[in-house]
Amino acid sequence: QFGRTGTPTPARTTSNEELSYLNPKEMVIGGTTITGTEFLDKDVLITISKLTKGDRITVPGDATSNAVKNLWGQGLFDDVKLNISEIRSDTVFFEIAVVERPRLTRIELLGLKKGEIGDVNEKLNDKTGKVVNENLLKTTTDIIKKHFTEKGYLFTDVTIVQRKDTAEANNIILDIKVDKNDRVKISEVLFTGNKDFKNKTLKKYLKKTKEKAIYKVFGAGKFLQNKYDEDKLNMISKMHEKGYRDAEIIKDTTYRTGKSTIGVKIDLYEGPKYYFGNVTWAGNAKYSTTVLDAILAIKKGEVFSEKKLDRKLSNSPGGDDVSSLYLNDGYLTFNVDPVQTKIYGDTIDLEIRMYEGPQYTINKIMVKGNELTNDKVILREIRTKPGQKFSKELIVRSTREIAQLGNFDDTKTDPKPININPNDGTVDIEYNVVEKPSDQIELSGGFGGGRVVGTLGLTFNNFSARNLFNMSAWKPLPKGDGQKLSIRGQTNGKYYQSYSFSFSEPWLGGKKPIYFGISAFTSLQSNGLRNNDINQQKIRLNGMTFSLGQRLKWPDDYFQANTSINLQQYILNNYNQFIFSTGNSYNFNLTQEFSRSSIDAPIFPTSGSNLKLTIQATPPYSLLNNKNYAVATDKEKYRFTEYHKWKFESQWFQRIYGKLVLKAQAQFGFLGIYNQAVGQSAFERFKLGGDGMQGFDYLQGSEIIAMRGYANNAVIPAGSNPTIAQGSGSPIFNKYVLELRHPITASQTATIFVLAFAEGGNTWNTFREFAPFNIRRTAGVGARVFLPIFGLLGIDYGFAFDKIPGVPDNGRNPFTFSISQAMNGGFN
Amino acid sequence: CKSKYEKLRASSDTAKKYREAVRLYDKKDYSKALGLFDDLVQKYRGTAEAEDLSYYFAYTNYKLKDYTTARYHFKTFADTYASSAKAEECRFMAAYCFYLESPVFSLDQENTIKAIESLQLFINLYPKSDRVAEASKLISNLRDKLEMKSYANAKLFLDIGDYKSAVIAFRNSASDFPDTKYAEEMEFLTIKAQALYAKASLEMKQEERYNEAINLFAEFAKNYPSSKYLKEGEEIKKNSEKAIIDVKKLIAIQEAEMKILQDKAKAAEAATKAKSAEETKKEETKNK
Repeated sequence: QFGRTGTPTPARTTSNEELSYLNPKEMVIGGTTITGTEFLDKDVLITISKLTKGDRITVPGDATSNAVKNLWGQGLFDDVKLNISEIRSDTVFFEIAVVERPRLTRIELLGLKKGEIGDVNEKLNDKTGKVVNENLLKTTTDIIKKHFTEKGYLFTDVTIVQRKDTAEANNIILDIKVDKNDRVKISEVLFTGNKDFKNKTLKKYLKKTKEKAIYKVFGAGKFLQNKYDEDKLNMISKMHEKGYRDAEIIKDTTYRTGKSTIGVKIDLYEGPKYYFGNVTWAGNAKYSTTVLDAILAIKKGEVFSEKKLDRKLSNSPGGDDVSSLYLNDGYLTFNVDPVQTKIYGDTIDLEIRMYEGPQYTINKIMVKGNELTNDKVILREIRTKPGQKFSKELIVRSTREIAQLGNFDDTKTDPKPININPNDGTVDIEYNVVEKPSDQIELSGGFGGGRVVGTLGLTFNNFSARNLFNMSAWKPLPKGDGQKLSIRGQTNGKYYQSYSFSFSEPWLGGKKPIYFGISAFTSLQSNGLRNNDINQQKIRLNGMTFSLGQRLKWPDDYFQANTSINLQQYILNNYNQFIFSTGNSYNFNLTQEFSRSSIDAPIFPTSGSNLKLTIQATPPYSLLNNKNYAVATDKEKYRFTEYHKWKFESQWFQRIYGKLVLKAQAQFGFLGIYNQAVGQSAFERFKLGGDGMQGFDYLQGSEIIAMRGYANNAVIPAGSNPTIAQGSGSPIFNKYVLELRHPITASQTATIFVLAFAEGGNTWNTFREFAPFNIRRTAGVGARVFLPIFGLLGIDYGFAFDKIPGVPDNGRNPFTFSISQAMNGGFN
Repeated sequence: CKSKYEKLRASSDTAKKYREAVRLYDKKDYSKALGLFDDLVQKYRGTAEAEDLSYYFAYTNYKLKDYTTARYHFKTFADTYASSAKAEECRFMAAYCFYLESPVFSLDQENTIKAIESLQLFINLYPKSDRVAEASKLISNLRDKLEMKSYANAKLFLDIGDYKSAVIAFRNSASDFPDTKYAEEMEFLTIKAQALYAKASLEMKQEERYNEAINLFAEFAKNYPSSKYLKEGEEIKKNSEKAIIDVKKLIAIQEAEMKILQDKAKAAEAATKAKSAEETKKEETKNK
């Protein structure tokens, strides 16, 4: 911009010696004067020009050109000229002539709505303080027009009126009147030059540029320049895909057809349809032509498609292309180039030229962008290690493992091979990550049982316990070691209190990926009376769990084994909703879990599967204690609860078309007994139906299984007493789900998707009655919103096909709401 | 009702604003001063007060611990008023702000590297400054941090059992920081990692890899004759030598077993051949 009027070359005015860039001279500055200023301080301008009296400089040279540049840089002038006013032997006198311009106080936008003003101002990018000149007026007009053109208002009028700011000297306010006029619609789309492609087909390729029509209710017919540009590219690439590799747009125009309508005319060159001819390979040493031909899978005579060729050579989404074969085996600089060697008639012969290059070994692994999370937390998840051969596949896997940590924005995790050294065949890999907020806060007040219930829950997903006493690491909490800490409290005063705490460390001891977790909870429910009151009714639950988890290398490295010890204590006093009313009960069990998870994303998986087998068992007390269970009271029977429980859950995700993902899920659970005399355990039963949210059912350690379309706990075994079965739960259940999911947005701030589901499930009292395909069925639609600080929120509408007799409304409850803080491993 | 401060902010009496801002700054009420300075920066461009103003502005941000903004304004000052008496100070402060923003070694060290670069630039620009000694000390602190990171990340591979990677990472660290204070420890840990790598290898590869560990130890003992790791290193060497003998024996046994199996197979083959030959003979005699 400054080159327009600024003249870095000093104009020779007094000396007859020739001064030019070809003939620079060293001179001493005798003085500098400024002319043309109105409001600005001359001395300061001289300081900024850096043409200080007494300095020795080259004329013309860097100093003279910088003087003009520096003054321009202030953005205060409409013109800056550097003149030499006098030369006396080796002393030079400068004169800087400036033209000051009024500055902009603010812009006032007229004729727009509040929201639009905000958008436009954002695009205008605060020009306050800039000089007001022709250029500013023009760019401002252009920016506003462009903004509305993108939104479909092609005929926007912009008029600018300059108004003196009375509050400040030499300042101007711009009043900009914007008239958007009507949004432009497309009245016709015309094609010329097409023979093989029908107009109708071509119009279909223009996905977002459609003619307006009465029957198209939503949005159709709008003209948006950027969408139109995309559409044109898309149309041509579709034509290329069909074998018309010469197809191109010769010319396209838009013309006005009415007050607020335009027409679009596209002149095409279609060209002939081409077919694949002979394919030969060159440069392949590592793999034989037969192997490469098999991967390429292109037959002679097939319709020529650049896209298919590209997919098979380098860009297959499944990774089964020629490049992957090499890139997963160290050939980092592998390069493939299909060359069209011969075109005869409509047939194209190809020679696929390859450069294999050396096999690269990984030298260094670096992590960048981890502003909160310590190196080791990331490095230990990375599968590409120094000394290994370079592998694209392992890089992708590493990226996924980093995403699983949950501390980083997985769309921005960017692994880059750098320092590629062909001499010794080494490469460094730099993993660039971007931290994201991963802590969750739950703060709620609700109305329950006629009283206000308050909840406060905090989950920190990137905690650092070792820095608990290191105050400098608190920001706002000690962070960065990938540990998880959560605390939660819920109370409504003296009637109900519940507190829980959990902590986990993914790498116990820092040497092996051994997960360690400890959690504890205590809760109290009472009628509010004191402990020594004989009318007091209360139940207190205490529990503690230790768990150890380990990743397994066999059968493959997606497997995990988890062992946990759980102890629960129930203390009852006149409590009549339990099996007995006063006394203590203990549930001590050992749980072993095997799971395998290969899903690609925690919130919206598009591929992979989850499998989980759980076995939970208490000691078989009845076989050891010689108690006569036939005559024992419930209190005696349940002092030490005994049972064994088996569960199998599986889940599978697959992208089927476009962004549409299919989720298939099957679950089965069975609760068994050691001793016929003791009978079925009252604890740990399954309750099927509803939203799957834990309510007050934890009393007997019941497991809540969601089933949309039915009310909570409504799916009871056929023929059982509804009141008893709903309250106690059932010892056997199974459930199947098929779900189609489609994403709406997936950003850092929110992930939203919609879904349609069909579910079936049932419960049974004994194994003899168990019939896995005799199920209650339901189907419906729903949506999920994931917000990082709230977790996953869901709403579903389901219609239950099978009535459940004896239960209110036949067990139906069309709407279910759910909140889940757990991001993965959930089988609901 | 607006407070006096808010009224002043809204007014256009720049001179009064400037006086008040400086007064607030001297009173250490930095956040209020910042608001006023912020308003004035635009207005004072190209005027006599601009130099002092931008100096105050940079320091106000610095005092408010907004080092990112402060660094930017210190640098702008040093670039714009290169001949000012305060330019040297501001150049140093710009680098020092980077220094303050350099995090613990286990996080991204982008600011550490930038701090080193800008401190070095300061030293180059003002080699005679009183602040050179301090700048050099700061650089040395920052280098220590990078050394520590390199060492810790190499050691992580040893800890999590990626021994081959550990050997490579220790070597890289030693060549990236030739005068590192961890040199002795890292050289020793390389031997340890190499021996563990050998142990975890296929039997066929063990001898070669153990020998590498033994050679590394010989070198180590020469370089650090009084090292506290000598005893442990000696142990590794002894175990490696023993392991080589064991693995050689094992391979010999395996080969012997293999040979017996092969011999047996050969004998069996010969027997079948002989048998079939005999049978053919029998057949022949029968046919006769």
